[in-house]
Amino acid sequence: MIPDPNFAWTGTVGEVVLGATRPDGGTRSRSYRIGGGTTLPFMEKEQKSPSPLIAFEICDDSRYWSPIVNDFCGDLIHDPGAWAKTAETTYGADLVRLCLTSTRQRDFSDIDSLGKITEKVLKSTTLPLIIEGSNEPKIDSEVFQKCGEVGQGERLLLGTAEAGRYRSIAAAALAYNHAIIAQSPIDINLAKQLNILLKEIGVSRDHIVIDPYTGALGYGFEYSFSAMERIRFSALKGDVDLAMPMICAPSDSLTIKEVREADAATRDAIAVEWEFTTSIAAAIAGAEIVCVRHPNTVKRLKAAFASLKGGV
Amino acid sequence: MTDVIQATKTGNTQLKNKISQISREFSYDETAYNLPISFALTGVAVHDKNSAADVFAKTGDNPLVASECLLAEATAATGKEPAPFTGFISDTVIRKLGYSLVDGSILGLALIVGTPESAGSAAAICRELQEKYMLTFLAGGVIPILSSAGVKLGLDYRLIPLGSKPIHSVHFVDIVARVAMMFGGVSPGDISRLLTYAAERAKAIVIVFPGLTDEEIALVDGMRVLGFPILTLSGYEGGEWTPATPDTIVRTGMDLKGIRVNVTAIPIPMGCSPAFEGKSIRKEEMQVEFGGGRSPAFELLRMKNPGEIEDGKVTVIGPEIDVMKEGGAYPLGIIIEVTGKSMKKDYEPVLERRIHNFVNYGEGSWHVAQRDLIWVRISKEAFAKGVKIEHLGKLLASKFRMDFPLLLDAVAVTLTTDAEKVLVGKREAESIYAERDARIKGMKDNDVDTYYSCTLCQTFAPNHVCIITPERPALCGAISWLDGKIAFEMSPSGANQPVEKGALLNAQNGEFEGVNKFVKKASHGEIERCSLYSVMEFPMTSCGCFEAIALMLPEVNGIMVVNREYKGMTPSGMTFSTLAGTIGGGAQSPGFAGISKNYILSDRFLQGEGGIERLVWMPSQLIEELKPRLVPLLMAKGHPDLFDKIADETTAATIEDLTDFLTRVGHPALAMKPLM
Repeated sequence: MIPDPNFAWTGTVGEVVLGATRPDGGTRSRSYRIGGGTTLPFMEKEQKSPSPLIAFEICDDSRYWSPIVNDFCGDLIHDPGAWAKTAETTYGADLVRLCLTSTRQRDFSDIDSLGKITEKVLKSTTLPLIIEGSNEPKIDSEVFQKCGEVGQGERLLLGTAEAGRYRSIAAAALAYNHAIIAQSPIDINLAKQLNILLKEIGVSRDHIVIDPYTGALGYGFEYSFSAMERIRFSALKGDVDLAMPMICAPSDSLTIKEVREADAATRDAIAVEWEFTTSIAAAIAGAEIVCVRHPNTVKRLKAAFASLKGGV
Repeated sequence: MTDVIQATKTGNTQLKNKISQISREFSYDETAYNLPISFALTGVAVHDKNSAADVFAKTGDNPLVASECLLAEATAATGKEPAPFTGFISDTVIRKLGYSLVDGSILGLALIVGTPESAGSAAAICRELQEKYMLTFLAGGVIPILSSAGVKLGLDYRLIPLGSKPIHSVHFVDIVARVAMMFGGVSPGDISRLLTYAAERAKAIVIVFPGLTDEEIALVDGMRVLGFPILTLSGYEGGEWTPATPDTIVRTGMDLKGIRVNVTAIPIPMGCSPAFEGKSIRKEEMQVEFGGGRSPAFELLRMKNPGEIEDGKVTVIGPEIDVMKEGGAYPLGIIIEVTGKSMKKDYEPVLERRIHNFVNYGEGSWHVAQRDLIWVRISKEAFAKGVKIEHLGKLLASKFRMDFPLLLDAVAVTLTTDAEKVLVGKREAESIYAERDARIKGMKDNDVDTYYSCTLCQTFAPNHVCIITPERPALCGAISWLDGKIAFEMSPSGANQPVEKGALLNAQNGEFEGVNKFVKKASHGEIERCSLYSVMEFPMTSCGCFEAIALMLPEVNGIMVVNREYKGMTPSGMTFSTLAGTIGGGAQSPGFAGISKNYILSDRFLQGEGGIERLVWMPSQLIEELKPRLVPLLMAKGHPDLFDKIADETTAATIEDLTDFLTRVGHPALAMKPLM
């Protein structure tokens, strides 16, 4: 029996626009308005909010990427532009998430190269873009300035702001009108606090996407699930400081023992299974965007979401 | 000497005349904000005589608007000044500047206008501004003088030459206007938001050198409306301009505008984090110790007037740790001096208590007790890493500034290890403690009209509301009344809101009309009444974070308290965790209340039930923890023997044992008015 989805919620999940098309000053082929939910995910009587979006993650330095994905994607991993294009045309992703892993190198300082890579990816795909910037607080200021500037007009989603480290990314959001990811370590109070900090610095609610932090399935995901559920309950009960869409990146799934140590014949299948299952759970907990790294996960998720939405 | 008031008057008249003589059309390239000041103030795009006159009239003959229009016309006539002058700065560059301001890599903006008498002092002022992460704009004679003194100018040096004449300082204001529109969400024409933004968010100061004409003085004086302090070294008198000396002008300006150099890392050779707070330093791990009955020691925090102390200054008077014998006990005086615009003398003791936390944050430093009873240790490990007495001072100065950024403008620390000076300082401190005690014996609930709420936990206990009073800290023990007040000052829309207590409804239970009203609203209509001092009737709700639970034991007509750390069974037949599960979640459970440990020591504790005489049982570890403060408190209340009459798990494990114990010792609760 399907339970009655009427919980007498009073709140609505806020909406965030990602990607700008030409009429809006950008060059994307489409733009998404995520959020807007009025009840728990997949429980709406009328179809109000869209299916969760699937972001395919790529990087600019594959030394910091899963060897399973690297082997599967082949030469693409050395060409973020081509990789992004493939994500759009072949894998069927809704968004591309570019992780600037090159910033993880010791004493990284080539900020200009990040601008060039971002530009190249923007040219190669027409999908709205998520950019995961600096991994090093010391260069945050320059990195986000650069990414923000290069992507001006495109309504990027920039990541990732944390409690002790949000000023640069907030500045980029304000200066160049991008949305940002606000991440807290599986803690609803910290999530709310960060949103308030961002609000105080001037970032408006419709530019914030919450990342509750996603543990891998079997390795702490139940904590993420519970934190997400509570965030969404709060939003629906009218707490505007938590009424933002959520993004989940079950990327830890590819580093767990079961996936890492799977034998060559089955490891792609196992990797996909792990990413897929974690993503489904995240979507059910309320994620508006799920991010995956294995190309084969994308289509499976698409089908699953369509089925959940359609109730078939 | 030029009289600022007179000159402003004359200047404004001259500007008005000139506005009426505008003849040509003008506009700026590379901006979406037209003439930004005029556009921000009125929403009108000024480009010719009529629109200029219109905006000028609309803004009440504003000298900023007049100067902006006149400069734009002049620039249109003669073209942009050649490099190094920047003239009007494009939106693209402003975005980057705004970015740096939000990002915190620039702390604020400064304008230097006029012609300094000596290149040396102007260069020194610029250097100080650079060191303090201010972005400085220059207009007029100051530019060639700095250049000739070899000072490098340009964005890379955070010294931007706007133009050769003082009127080019208009661009300073048009930058602020655009930052407000780009970053502050100020819509063109919304004057009140613009002024609020400029006053509160735009961290800008103005330094004026001599040689300004009346019109230019009117322009600069006009910037006061935006809340920029105008500072001057010489050449001007009167008006609202602040006189200063070359050594103090930058600091004075930054203080006036509340621009603070943020402390991010504490420059000491040991870790500093709340994570180390619980770690004690045992005798054999200790390098040296201070106080604890082994040597004289004290701590004192005092408020000073702005400008009296130098922020971040740490002074050590007497021998340093490296000449102290290993394992020895030495005298120590910790004196912290603070200034802050909203700092009050009443906050002194509360801030002073933070010394305890902060010293314990140090990986190799340890602190217990307070005032002239303190006991401080530094570990051998920390000593080996190079930690000195001085570093305790740095830690304290930095932590106070980091944790109270909006309350404190400057913190200076003096650490004395000289035996004689410590004794003198201690006597002085003792007279101050006595004064404080006499004055307010801690802040009392009756001394204030406003309590503070805390709804931080509503994210998981949606209808829970804590009401925090001076005598009843939040049930988690983490937020005192002062913390609530400071939190509200820092974030007016946050989880701590002021609660007007309103009319008194029930003095014994601590029920107030205003509190009830607030609680009803904040609990989304769930809770109608809230007694601050009663466990039995309409007690405060509990979220889940309480340090301890107070609950009635009808069998013995008393109330027991169990703390979170205690894992065993209680005479109620329930463990802490079972009890916590029963009362948490934002429900009101008569007979049960979540409380902080410190509340047990408050005069308000169990007031509704007749006072601390109702307390019959606590776990032994909690009794031990509270003992040093509980014994004198009970003594003062006239119950010197009550302490020994409170049972614990060793004397009374079950309710039957408890009844026997209380009867045997003659506990006063047995004879009190029935609880139910």
